[in-house]
Amino acid sequence: MYRYDEFDETLVRERAKQFRGQVERRLKGELKEENFKPLRLQNGVYLQLHAYMFRIAIPYGQLSAKKLRQLAMIADKYDKGYGHFTTRQNIQFNWIKLAEIPDALEALADVEMHAIQTSGNCIRNVTSDHLAGAAFDELEDPRPWCEIIRQWSTFHPEFAHLPRKFKIAVTAATPDRAAVKVHDIGLLMKKNEAGEAGFEVLVGGGLGRTPYIGLTIRDWVSKQDLLSYLEANMRVYNRYGRRDNKYKARIKILVNELGEAEYRRQVEEEFANQNAWEKVVLPQEEIDRITAYFAPPKFETLPTKSTTLDGAIAVDRHFARWTKNNLRAHKVPGYTAVHIALKPQGVAPGDASSAQMRAAADIAEKYGLDDIRVAHEQDLVLPHVKLDDVPAVYAALKAADMHASNAGLGSDIIACPGLDYCNLSNARSISVANEIQALFADPDFEDEVGTLHINVSGCINACGHHHVGHIGILGVDKKGEEFYQILFGGRADEKATIAEIQGPGLKHEEVAPALKRVIARYMELRTSKTEKLADTMTRLGQAPFKEALYASA
Amino acid sequence: MSSERPKLGPDIPKVITGWISATGRVVYLTKDRDWSENLLDAEVLTGPAAVDVLAWASKDQTRATDPYFMQVTPDGKVAGRETIRETIRAKGPTNHPMFGKQAGNN
Repeated sequence: MYRYDEFDETLVRERAKQFRGQVERRLKGELKEENFKPLRLQNGVYLQLHAYMFRIAIPYGQLSAKKLRQLAMIADKYDKGYGHFTTRQNIQFNWIKLAEIPDALEALADVEMHAIQTSGNCIRNVTSDHLAGAAFDELEDPRPWCEIIRQWSTFHPEFAHLPRKFKIAVTAATPDRAAVKVHDIGLLMKKNEAGEAGFEVLVGGGLGRTPYIGLTIRDWVSKQDLLSYLEANMRVYNRYGRRDNKYKARIKILVNELGEAEYRRQVEEEFANQNAWEKVVLPQEEIDRITAYFAPPKFETLPTKSTTLDGAIAVDRHFARWTKNNLRAHKVPGYTAVHIALKPQGVAPGDASSAQMRAAADIAEKYGLDDIRVAHEQDLVLPHVKLDDVPAVYAALKAADMHASNAGLGSDIIACPGLDYCNLSNARSISVANEIQALFADPDFEDEVGTLHINVSGCINACGHHHVGHIGILGVDKKGEEFYQILFGGRADEKATIAEIQGPGLKHEEVAPALKRVIARYMELRTSKTEKLADTMTRLGQAPFKEALYASA
Repeated sequence: MSSERPKLGPDIPKVITGWISATGRVVYLTKDRDWSENLLDAEVLTGPAAVDVLAWASKDQTRATDPYFMQVTPDGKVAGRETIRETIRAKGPTNHPMFGKQAGNN
């Protein structure tokens, strides 16, 4: 894990001190809200429906036990004892007082954390594969590149006032677990014909009111040239991205208005014409220095199979189900990655109490090489657990009520906070998600349905990624009533697809019964249990599912 | 990206609501130009002069942030197309009833 150097330490401390002064001036009336708002947003502070919301950066979703315990402390001391993990691998607190946020920032600085790049029109917190460094199917660990991009982009003066926010995701694996095709820039590590590792650069993906899949603007760029090539993209966007209309200000609009070829031409021209003094050609020593922070932990030499684990599976069917659904393959024999689904029935997706955060921290420290990840599916992951320790991990998770056995299944729903918290939202997301979860209360039924991604957003801004769910649900306001548009056929992986809206919106209480009919139709029509809903829809078209959606109960 | 509220004509009964600047708690403007967390304390405004009251409230930034008109019934209950939003805002999140004002939290 990256450790702060003296520059990072100074930077976050001074930032916290600076914000303390800004808050004091605001509360004394020396700063008007219109002047203060951009300052608070640069520190992750929003004003939401009930209170201020404080968003804390978790770079590429990686936490240590110490960091997670500090988040639990903040939840208890400054909030209401829980936090909400987001689809951008960050955490939000919903009830914090403005006057106390500087203290919380100081507490974050104590554990090398901050709220920089969590809001505003800058390059946001870089996200990545939650299995980075553990996945058997990755080319190499993408985290050093996330960290290099973080250091390059943090307070980059040229990109501090972009037309709109800018999101970058990096993955080094196929399948894509980081949804890189729906980011402003997605970086996919791959080898060129000479066998050198570099990056495919996808630009112009995104969700929100105008969803697009990113286009491959360059098939391969070298590691040394990555930052220069990113700068070329950022410069074209900064120069020509629209600033007259915030709804058309994201880079996806620019790419699509210019056209793929013209956008690529402009970027390549900018890249080729960078002066030597402004090119950021990464020295190998610097790449090595950052990479060293992410050196693999000292894994033990273990057998591929664990008799301890197999024995526990044989005698406990609940545990057996959990291992089937929540364990992920690891690159080192005798290890696994454990998916902690923060989606038990009836709980807001992504919410964790301070007690649960502490429990996860304890488990990670004892059994997980002190490594915890936040997945964009709003779950936690322990990337490095010995197979022999899995029964003990499960028991500890069960004691903390964190043993939902539904990772990747129908009740593992992505949902934004919706109208219960968000000042922008049109409709509630959490309650709809909870009603859909109830369809899968029978674990045998949920297992029979298999992999199913249901994503819920409370408004067109799409924080709940409704465009890329196998089933997407979008909350809309119709003359003061909550309605929900249903979308089919989306996916966020390497075959990323934007889902299609089916027709008229449904009332809140109609959503879960309608989805029940759609799922029944899917189970009738799929060729096998491994055929995902999106694949069945590709094979047969969406008409049979639309018919089920709108059929009377 | 947009938290703009619906425009309310002069004849529609309304109150002024905002957030306490220091805490972010939801408040309503009272007749004596104070801010209360209880909607029942709010002054119900009608007529063109309401705009002047909102202008005054907008200048009271040290105490309250981002005030706006919220539609109510003549006797001060939440009304209009934002009834769900303003009811949740007044009482608390429906998924966490133990945290909102509906649970008597201060």
